[in-house]
Amino acid sequence: MPYREKIAWLSLVGMAVCYGPYFAFTHRSPLLDQPLPNLPLMALFAAAAGGNAVWTLLGRLLLRMNTPPDERGSADERDRAIDRRARGVAYYVLIGLALYVGGVMPFISTGWHIVNSMVASVVIAETVSYAAIVLGYRRGVT
Amino acid sequence: MTGGKLKNQVRTLRFLNGEMTQGDLGQKIGVTRQTIAAIEAGKYSPSLEAAFRIAAVFGKPLDEVFQWEAEG
Repeated sequence: MPYREKIAWLSLVGMAVCYGPYFAFTHRSPLLDQPLPNLPLMALFAAAAGGNAVWTLLGRLLLRMNTPPDERGSADERDRAIDRRARGVAYYVLIGLALYVGGVMPFISTGWHIVNSMVASVVIAETVSYAAIVLGYRRGVT
Repeated sequence: MTGGKLKNQVRTLRFLNGEMTQGDLGQKIGVTRQTIAAIEAGKYSPSLEAAFRIAAVFGKPLDEVFQWEAEG
């Protein structure tokens, strides 16, 4: 498996493990209806983001130690093509979600629900990007 | 004529050039071993520049290494 595909898998699992529980818990939590500044919610998010950062750092370190130097060199043209395509897909996902959060949610929701949905949009777009990278390596780019 | 597939003789040419490894070929043209494997498997269409570099490594014209197979 190419080094960059392993990194994409690592990131994908990290997103699911760290942000999955956060959004599952906060989705219908009364925490979203707290007044400003909503420190409990922000602390939960900081824990999820921090956990993801630690997971990614440790995972990358382990992958780096277990991959021969010639296989973890700089990205070649195929790596860049896969990355470009994945970011293209993620961009449209982010635009779609941002339009919903910014254009529709203000009419049907309030405050932290909107903020949390915007954060979720970024996380979803990032997850889609990693998933598209994995698919690019699995199915090919022609 | 938009439908079709890029075929290549990279695997055969590597064999005919003293069983050159995918890693060796990759190193010569500046891509990873996995990218050469993907090209051989038809999972990645190389850039024109990389295609010319591969052909140059084997001392062959481009159309002897890569062929376009139209659909239908």
